[in-house]
Amino acid sequence: MRRSHEPISWSLFGAGGMLLALIGPGLIVSTLLLPWLTQDPQALYVSFSAGLRHPLGTCAALAVVALPLYHTAHRLYHGLHDLHITGPGWLLGGVFYGGATVLSALCAFWLLAL
Amino acid sequence: MRKPWQPRQPRDWWLHNPAYRRYMLREATALPLLLYTLLLLTGIYQLARGPVAFGAWLAWLQTPAMLVLQGIALAAALLHAVTWVALVPKILVIDSDRLRIAPRHVLRAHQLAALGCNLGLIGATLWLLWPAGGH
Repeated sequence: MRRSHEPISWSLFGAGGMLLALIGPGLIVSTLLLPWLTQDPQALYVSFSAGLRHPLGTCAALAVVALPLYHTAHRLYHGLHDLHITGPGWLLGGVFYGGATVLSALCAFWLLAL
Repeated sequence: MRKPWQPRQPRDWWLHNPAYRRYMLREATALPLLLYTLLLLTGIYQLARGPVAFGAWLAWLQTPAMLVLQGIALAAALLHAVTWVALVPKILVIDSDRLRIAPRHVLRAHQLAALGCNLGLIGATLWLLWPAGGH
């Protein structure tokens, strides 16, 4: 029997959902305020890139991008089913979970390029 | 001739019942949250490109379209947080011989955690970036 991907995709969905519940609204308020609070974009660039170059900062930023990507991909994938939008499983799965994986890999690549 | 019964569900099944509409609204929070996550991802990309690109990204956050996106994402994130935390005690059932925690305590703990983390994050942003404090 073919193994289901559901345990893995649900775990990532659950982790992303918990992360978004814990820090989602706070993060959005922070980025809304960010440009107005910033006096010196150059100084903010220096402190952000220093913070994200630290291993803990890299891991935190990757989690904050990758887990919500998997969470939203999972919800939208199942939402299509609710809306009666069907298609080949490999295609829909590839677009949603594959897309989240590719974007997470890009995020890791850009973080390591800092 | 074999003629199996085929259950049919109209495409707009969720429109006619308030509980289903609330369910679909909850699921729909994923779309603005996905777009907001892409906004963060572009920020990391621009940060990797250098200070000029990062400055342009900061300015881009202030454009009307991005302010509207963030506003919708904030509403979606609040609805997500409320509905997610409400579901936690139904999924996280701690009821074994060794450890038993009542669902209302599990709920209260997660409500406090979500409130604390979100307010803490906003507080940290204000504390670190408040112009008068200057870091």
